[in-house]
Amino acid sequence: MSTGTTPDTGSARLFQCPDTVFDEVYEADGRVRAHWQRLLHAFRQLSQNEFLRRNEQADRTLRENGVNFHAFADTAGAARPWRLDLFPLVIPSIEWAQVETGLAQRARLLNAIIRDIYGPQNLVREGLLPPELVFGNPEFMRAFWQLQPTELNPMFLYAAELARSPNGQWLVMADRSEAPAGPGFALENRIVSSRTIPSAFKQIPVERIAAFFVHLQNSLRRRAPRNSENPRTVLLTHGPTHRYYFEDVYLARYLGYTLVEGADLAVRNDCVFLKTLSGLLPVDIILCRSAESGLDPLELGANAAFGVPGLLNAVRTGNVAIANTPGCGIVGAPVFMAFFPQICEHLFGEPLQMPSIPTWWCGDPNSMAQVRDRFDTLVIKPAFQKSGGEEIIVSDLTKSDREALLNRIQTQPWIFVAQEKIARSGVPVWHESGIRCGHVAVRAFMVEDESHFRLMPGGLIRIAPDTGPMQLSVSAGDGSKDMWVLAEGKVDKVTLLAPGDQPAELRRTSALFPSRVADNLFWLGRTIDRCDFLSRVIRSLAERLLGDSSVEPLEVRFLARVLSEQGQLEPGFVVDGLESQLPALADAFPLAVFDSSEVGGLANSVSELTRLSSLVRDWLSPDTWQRIHHTAEAFQISPTHEWNDLADVVLTTNRLIGNLASVSGLISDGMNRGPSWRFLELGRSIERAGATARLLLTADLKGPTSSPAILKTLVEVLDVQMTYRFRYRDQLQRNAVLDLAITDETNPRSLVFQIERLVSHVDRLPGAETRPLRSEDMRLVMHCAHAVRMLTTEDLAAQVPRNVVNALRSVEEGMASLSNTLTRKYLVHSGTPRQITDFIGGAP
Amino acid sequence: MKYRVMHKTSYTGREAVSIGHNQAWLEPRSISGQQVESFSLRIEPEPSIRSRQTDYFGNSVTLFSFNEGYQKLDVTATSFVTVLDQGSGANAPLAGQPWESAAELLRTHREESILRAYEFVFSSPRVNWNAEMKAYAVQSFPTGRCLLDGVRELTQRIHTDFAYDPRATTVTTPVQDAFRIRRGVCQDFAHIEIAMLRSLGLAARYVSGYLRTYPPEGQPRLVGADASHAWLSVYCGGEIWIDVDPTNNKFASTDHITLAWGRDYSDVPPLSGVFIGGGQHRLTVSVDVLPLPSKDVIRSKS
Repeated sequence: MSTGTTPDTGSARLFQCPDTVFDEVYEADGRVRAHWQRLLHAFRQLSQNEFLRRNEQADRTLRENGVNFHAFADTAGAARPWRLDLFPLVIPSIEWAQVETGLAQRARLLNAIIRDIYGPQNLVREGLLPPELVFGNPEFMRAFWQLQPTELNPMFLYAAELARSPNGQWLVMADRSEAPAGPGFALENRIVSSRTIPSAFKQIPVERIAAFFVHLQNSLRRRAPRNSENPRTVLLTHGPTHRYYFEDVYLARYLGYTLVEGADLAVRNDCVFLKTLSGLLPVDIILCRSAESGLDPLELGANAAFGVPGLLNAVRTGNVAIANTPGCGIVGAPVFMAFFPQICEHLFGEPLQMPSIPTWWCGDPNSMAQVRDRFDTLVIKPAFQKSGGEEIIVSDLTKSDREALLNRIQTQPWIFVAQEKIARSGVPVWHESGIRCGHVAVRAFMVEDESHFRLMPGGLIRIAPDTGPMQLSVSAGDGSKDMWVLAEGKVDKVTLLAPGDQPAELRRTSALFPSRVADNLFWLGRTIDRCDFLSRVIRSLAERLLGDSSVEPLEVRFLARVLSEQGQLEPGFVVDGLESQLPALADAFPLAVFDSSEVGGLANSVSELTRLSSLVRDWLSPDTWQRIHHTAEAFQISPTHEWNDLADVVLTTNRLIGNLASVSGLISDGMNRGPSWRFLELGRSIERAGATARLLLTADLKGPTSSPAILKTLVEVLDVQMTYRFRYRDQLQRNAVLDLAITDETNPRSLVFQIERLVSHVDRLPGAETRPLRSEDMRLVMHCAHAVRMLTTEDLAAQVPRNVVNALRSVEEGMASLSNTLTRKYLVHSGTPRQITDFIGGAP
Repeated sequence: MKYRVMHKTSYTGREAVSIGHNQAWLEPRSISGQQVESFSLRIEPEPSIRSRQTDYFGNSVTLFSFNEGYQKLDVTATSFVTVLDQGSGANAPLAGQPWESAAELLRTHREESILRAYEFVFSSPRVNWNAEMKAYAVQSFPTGRCLLDGVRELTQRIHTDFAYDPRATTVTTPVQDAFRIRRGVCQDFAHIEIAMLRSLGLAARYVSGYLRTYPPEGQPRLVGADASHAWLSVYCGGEIWIDVDPTNNKFASTDHITLAWGRDYSDVPPLSGVFIGGGQHRLTVSVDVLPLPSKDVIRSKS
C-alpha cells in the first residue's frame, strides 16, 4: 500500500498478511470479515491527513500523560514511550465469551494447583505433577507454605498471553499469575483511542472495560480480614525504578488506593500499618504489584531488602490480606503448561478448554525423546522462570550450536522446556510509510467476581513486526493497540465514580499522607528553588562573560565564587588574577552548566526535578507534573545541540526560569493547602532563605563600602531590579539593597518574607498544637525570624554592618539545622532494615 | 544420655534498635532417638508479641518482635533433652545397597517418606555444586559401592582434606568458595558434603544442633565454651536418615543434640532477625552443653 492512499477500505485490501498466518480482517476469499466491516467503514470517513493528525495526537497525549516504561531513568532516553496504533483489534463478543469460559476454567485450575503446591501437595503424591516442578523449582518458597486463604482464591487477578494460531484457534502462550502487568495500559489505550477517534467509537457498540475494575475493587474488598465497612487498601509498588511504575501510579489513582512502597509500611503486633505524618494507620488489604519474593526480608532474606519485615506473619495471622496471595507466581512458569490437561481432567473431570502452546518438559524421558525428534522446529526456554526468560529459537542456531544446546539440556533436562513456534495472526498496523501487517499478542485479564472469574471485555494488544516468537513482557513488541469487543445490543456504561444520588461525606484532608511522600515533596520544593536560584546566577555570569569590556572583573569573580560555593564551578576559577582566566572560564562554563555529573550543579538539580516529581507524581496535579516534566525536558534537550556556547546558556537559563515560574504558578494557584503543599513550601522557603543568606555573605559586606558593580549584581540575581528602580532610581546604595534583600516584608524574595512563611508552616505541622513548649523546629525558625527582625536601619547603614553579617550567619545556619530537624522528626521514620546474622562456630 | 543445653545470644547496639522482627530455631526437635523433656525460651526485654509455629520442615520456630526500642537483647534457650543411641544405621533399608539404587529410588518412587526425602536432592539457596565438587564426590562412590560405605569414606576425606579455620569463612561464604579453599567451620563442611551427595542424586539435609564436648583429661569442663554445631543427615530408606558429622569424622551418636533441619543453613539459623537502628552492634553467643547424671533423668521424669 502506498502512502498516497487513505486507509481506504472499499475494494482494495488494506494490507497483506503472509499466507501462513491467520488474517484477522479478511476471509480466505478476500471478503472483509463481518465484525470488521463497521470499523473499516468508520475509518473510510477519515481523510489520510486527518488520520495522520490523529495518530500524532494519540502519540502526544500518551507522551504528555507520561505513559512509558520507567517513569524516569538514570540515563537520558532509557525511558521508552508507549506507542498506540489507532486501528483497534476487533473481536465479536460471542468469540470473546468463549475465551472467557476457557480462561475461567484455567484460572480455577491455576488456583487449585497453587493451593495444592503450598498445601497438601497431593498432585505430586498422585503423580500428576513431577516433584521436580515443586522441590527443584527455585521459585517454590517454603515461607509461603500454608499462607493461602481457606475460602478465597489465592489468585484473584490473572492474565493470559494469547496468540491466534494459523487455524484460528486461540492459544495461551503464557500465564501471568503473580502480579499481572497491563490492565492499566489497556485502560489508558482505551481512553486515548476513544478520544482520538470518537466518531468510530460512537458508531460501533464497543464493550466498556470499566466494569472490570469495579469487579476488581469488589473482589479485593471481600478479602478484608476484619468486618470492616471501609477496609483500607493500599497498592504496593516496587517503586519508581520499576519499569511498570507508571501503571502502578495510574491504577492507584484510578482505583482510589494509596500508592505505597515497602518502606511506607510497618508491622506492629502482626498487624500492618501505613506510616503517615500523623502516625500509623492500619492497613487491611494490599494489592501487590511488587515481586512476591521481595515482600518480607525477615522470612525471604536479603533478596527482600525493600520489603516489610514481619509482613508474611501478618498474613499468616490473618490480620492483612495480600492479593494475589504470595505463592501464586510459581504456576506462571512455562513448565506447568505441559501438565495442565491431565490435572484438569483429574481435578475437574473435564478437558482443558483453552489449549496452551504445545509444551514439553525435558525432564520427562518420553517428552525429551519427542523434543529430540523435532528439535529444529522448537523454542527452548528455562522451565521455571515466571516471566519467560531466555528464549532460544533452535532454527536460528548453527549446527554445532544446536548440538551444544542439546548437550546442555541433557545434563540438566528438568530445568528446560521446549515449545512449538506459533505464527501469530496478522492485523493492519499504521506506519509512516503506509499500512503494514503486524502480528498480534493479546494479554487478556481475568478478575475474580464472587466465585467465578470475569474476563475484561478488552485487553492489551501488542504488535510484533514479524512472525517469530515475541518476548512475553508487556513492554516488548512494536507498539500497542486498543481491543474492541463488539457488544451485542446496548452497551452497559459503568463508571468508577460514586453514584450521583448520594452526597459524599465532606472532608478537608485525605488522611493518608505517607511520610515518604512528605520527604520527597520537601526535597522537590528545595530543588525547584535551587534550580531557580542557580539559573539566575548562571544567567548573570553568562551575560557578563558574553558582554563587552564594560563588565568589571569584580562582578565576574563574585558570581564565579557564588557558583563555586554551590558546587557548580571549580574553585580554580575564583582565585585572584581571574582576568587572565576569562577566556578559559568562558569556554568551560557552558560545559559545566550542562554537565549532569556535577553534583550540586544545575543540570544535576534539573534531573533531580524529574526524579523527585516522578516519586510524588500522584500527589501533584497532572498539569503540574507535566509542567515539571516539560521544564526538565526543555533544559535537557539543549546540550544535544553542538553549539553549546554562552549564548546558549543564556537562552536555556532564561527558558528554565520562565518554566519554573509557571510551575510555581500552578503550585500556588492549584495545589490544595494540605500537608503535601506545606512540605513542598517548607522546602522552597528553606532553600530560598538559605541561598539568599549565603549570596549576601559571599558579597563580602565587611568593608566600609560595597562596589556598585556587586550591588547591581545582587539586585539582578535577587530579581528586585524593578522595585529598586521605582524606589531609588539608579542610585545604588548598600543599605537600600540590604533592606530589599533582608528586611522588606513586602518583597517576596526577602529573607524576612521567607522566614515568616516558615514560621506559619512550622506552626501548622502535625502535632504542633498538642505540645506544651515550642518544638525544636519552631525554636530554630523563630530564632532566625528574631535575628532578621531585630535589625535596625542603623545596622543596615553601618560602615561595617557587623549585625547584618551576624544575622545572615544565623539564617544560613538556621536553615541547615531546620532542614535536618524536619527530616529527623517527620520524614525519615524508617532507617534501612538490617539483618541479624547469627553465626555457628563448630566444635572442632 | 541426658543433657541440659543453654544457648544464650546477646545483642548489644550502640544506639537503641527502634523496631525488630526475629525468628528463632532454638527448640530441639522431638524425634525418634531424641526426647525433649522441657524447653524454655527467655527473651529480654519482653517482646511485644511472640508466637510459636511449625515451619515447612516440621521444626518449631518462635517468632517475636519489638515495637519499643532496646539497646540490649538477650535470648536464652534452655532445653532438657535425652538422646538415645540409635545404633550404626547399618540396618537401614538402603544402607547396604549400591548408592545408584538409592538415587534411582528417590527419583522414581512416590511413597510419602521417599517423596519427603526427594526434596533434599535439589540445590537450595546455600547449597549448589560444580563439576569439581561432583568429581571429588565420585571418588568415594565408584559404581556399585554401597551407600553407607560411600558416605563414611566421603566424610572421612572431607575431615582429612579440609582445615578447620574459623577465620577463613563467614556465615555467608558460598559453598563453592569454601570447597575451593578447603577451609571452614562445621557449617561449611556440612554444606560441602550435602552438595556432593546431592550432586550424585542422593538426599542430604542440613542439621543444626549441639555437640557434647569433652574437656582435656584432668581439666574441668568450661561452662559456655561450647558452640552451635551443624552436620548433615543422609537418607537411607524407609523412615531412616543417618547423621554424619564431617567436622569430627563420625556418625552422630548420643553426643549430638538435634535442634532443627532444613535444606541448608538458611532454612534453620538459630536466630535471625531484621532490625532498624542500633548503630554499631555486637553479637555474642554462648552455648553450654551439660551432661546430667542419670539420676537427674529419673528425678525429672518422676
